[in-house]
Amino acid sequence: MTSAGLQLDRVSRRFDVDGRSLLALDAVSLDAPAGSFIALIGPSGCGKSTLLRMLAGLDQPTSGELRVGGETPLALQQRGALGIAFQEASLLPWRSVESNVRFPFDVIGRMTQADRERVREMIALVGLEGFEQALPSQLSGGMRQRVAIARALVSQPQLLLLDEPFGALDQILRRSMNEELQRLWLNRPVTTVMVTHSVDEAIFLADKVVVMSGRPGRIARVVDIPFPRERPLSLLASAECRELEAELLTLMFEGKPSDQDDSQDECRHG
Amino acid sequence: MAELAGQAQDARKPETRRRPKARYAMPLKIALGWLALLALWEIAGRQQWVAGGALPSPSGILGQLIVDWHDYPEHIRATVRTSLIGFLLGNLVAVLVGFLMASWRPAGRLLSGVNVTLFAMPPIALTPILVIAFDGDAPRIALAALSTYYPTMVATVLGLTRVDARLLDLVRLYGGGRWATLRWIRLRHALPTLLAGLRVAAPNAVLGSLLAEFGSGAGAGLGHYLIGSLGRGDPARLWGIGLVATAISAGFYLSILLLARGWVGRQAPAQESLGGSSSGSMSRAGRLLCLAISVTLPVLLWWAAVWGLERVGVSPFVLRSPPELVVELFSTMRPESLTRIVGGALAQTVPWCLAGMLVGLAFALLLAIVGTLSPVLGRVLMPLSLLTQSMPLVALTPLIVLIFGRDGATILAITISVTFFPAYVTLAQGMALVPAATRDCVRVLGGSRWREIRLVSLPWSLPYLCAAARLVAPRAFLGVMIAEWLATGTGVGNLLNVARGSLDYGLVWAVVVAAVLVSVLLYLAVTLIEHWVLKRYAMASAS
Ligand SMILES: Nc1ncnc2c1ncn2[C@@H]1O[C@H](COP(=O)(O)OP(=O)(O)OP(=O)(O)O)[C@@H](O)[C@H]1O
Ligand SMILES: [Mg+2]
Repeated sequence: MTSAGLQLDRVSRRFDVDGRSLLALDAVSLDAPAGSFIALIGPSGCGKSTLLRMLAGLDQPTSGELRVGGETPLALQQRGALGIAFQEASLLPWRSVESNVRFPFDVIGRMTQADRERVREMIALVGLEGFEQALPSQLSGGMRQRVAIARALVSQPQLLLLDEPFGALDQILRRSMNEELQRLWLNRPVTTVMVTHSVDEAIFLADKVVVMSGRPGRIARVVDIPFPRERPLSLLASAECRELEAELLTLMFEGKPSDQDDSQDECRHG
Repeated sequence: MAELAGQAQDARKPETRRRPKARYAMPLKIALGWLALLALWEIAGRQQWVAGGALPSPSGILGQLIVDWHDYPEHIRATVRTSLIGFLLGNLVAVLVGFLMASWRPAGRLLSGVNVTLFAMPPIALTPILVIAFDGDAPRIALAALSTYYPTMVATVLGLTRVDARLLDLVRLYGGGRWATLRWIRLRHALPTLLAGLRVAAPNAVLGSLLAEFGSGAGAGLGHYLIGSLGRGDPARLWGIGLVATAISAGFYLSILLLARGWVGRQAPAQESLGGSSSGSMSRAGRLLCLAISVTLPVLLWWAAVWGLERVGVSPFVLRSPPELVVELFSTMRPESLTRIVGGALAQTVPWCLAGMLVGLAFALLLAIVGTLSPVLGRVLMPLSLLTQSMPLVALTPLIVLIFGRDGATILAITISVTFFPAYVTLAQGMALVPAATRDCVRVLGGSRWREIRLVSLPWSLPYLCAAARLVAPRAFLGVMIAEWLATGTGVGNLLNVARGSLDYGLVWAVVVAAVLVSVLLYLAVTLIEHWVLKRYAMASAS
């Protein structure tokens, strides 16, 4: 299984809240090649999670189309080709670490000897050897989040979705988890979409940073991150990085799609 | 932000340092508290302080229990057997209905009338009809099953539906459908909640079985034994029977608790949210239709039950279908009309019920506040309260009769005692849930403990007070009826007893239906007040 590229074509999503209609996403278009790391940033409520849920096939666009490697997210679901992790680790409290990481195979309904190997391997990769039989309540926040990442990756998904996976962690732990995620990702560069509130996390990890604006949610700009991999944490202290960070922050605070947007794949409804 | 968090941790440090000492001091104080209570009881019993020996000493009770021991096995066997069978049957139905309600939303609305009736209905009110219609173990099993149903049904629905939505998403993401979410998430998630529900249901089953023995002639069972011993005026024996009934109840309760500990560890059960349910997406017309059906459903079930009983050979002479009862209610052929008899009895019963409930709630609130001021007292009281929750109401009543005599004071004492403990448990738990940060806000500003209680803990516990009132309203009504039946010979409780004895089946049915109806209305009235209070409260806190 290889990973898949993304094609979003004028994806819109409306919600009915108390009889009023709310446009959460307005004609979002985006293309990303297979094996790229996309970071989604933007003000709270601009529709990042909504977009991610649609990529996961958990929600359907009101209009427009989403394709992952030419397939619909639902088709990927059926093949067990997706992986996801949320802000809170969302582990099953009654299952041990090992059993939580194995969970995708239980739902998919098949587990080969190789899969069993992978479960062990993933637990080792996220540094949790020796904790296989621990329950989530016996782990620290960072350890739980590692279990969640291991679970998201264990089925070798073609698309990895992360919704603020480190949002609940402190700054230092977040940095080291960023490093760890980069290592895992370089190990097997799966197409990844990650929602984050942290601009430096986005710069450190992503190939492309998609800056969104709110009410209705639109893509304000797509910014390519030029830094070569493997990126060291010290990169975040460099002048170029600071500059980029400032630019992205300005874009976010403007809160409106920029007019002279030169990037290829952005599209607005008139 | 990070700095603030650091400060908060620093602020907490002195307390953690003090803790090792406190770890030994607390259980010691609690144990001393218990010993003091026990010693006081022993002295009070020996000196015959209370109502000339109505409160025997613990050693006296134990002595009598040993003397009477040869009587007990057959009664214990009968009570355990019938409550166990009823418990199993009631839970089976409850779990099935819970599944239906969790998987098909409208079912919850349609069944709400039946559910509220089964919750609010005083089990003792059904006794005369069950005893008329069935014989042998059947009335006891039926009443135990009916008393079991509600807590288990609620727990099943809560456990199956109150699931972290992201866990459900996770299963869907890997291509799992409804069956997969049920299998991997919902069932397992429901388990601790279901077991907590069973724990509440267990004492109910014992109580149901005991209540069905009231007025059903002689036989084996602790209820019979209790009533048979009532006339002998031997306090130590009555206390002994009460303790044995409580022990059976507590045994049920504890075995389920242990089962839960072994099976699901300490995973917390899902909580019923306070403050009502969301109405969901349904049109106004649809909601009205559901309401109409849910109100008529209990009546239809009654009708169907009467029809079914006639089919299996119960004499139509003792049965009344809804229209037959209505005709009889307004019939002018009787010397005194049924509506007047029943109305008069209700006029005696309802005021006691309201008074007892209010005083019980006030006591509970007072003690909950004292409990937050003095944790030791709270920790001494809480196990006592939980113990009395597993104590069947009827076991308590004769004891209170002994102490307070046979007049209004007894009714009040029984009603207060049955409402106080559950209300206290609910309130104390609510107060324990006040976020420490909110309390600290007051403390940081230099507010006293009392101020903190007034500004934070009290408003915070208002929803819990409402929930407690809703919980205890039907219990209060049941308490008054038991007191009237056993002690004072007044009101609806007495009428239930008298009507059955006089073979006036029209009157039996009229009293039963009236008692159920009033209890349900009482419950609904409290629910309405709760809605109103919570609405006001939310508005006040928002502005
Ligand atoms: N199920 C839903 N029903 C109604 N409205 C919804 C629903 N889900 C999201 N919305 C609305 O859509 C908008 C976007 O929500 P979304 O959760 O995608 O924001 P977000 O960018 O992830 O925000 P945050 O950064 O705070 O997580 C919000 O205004 C929200 O109220
Ligand atoms: Mg979000």
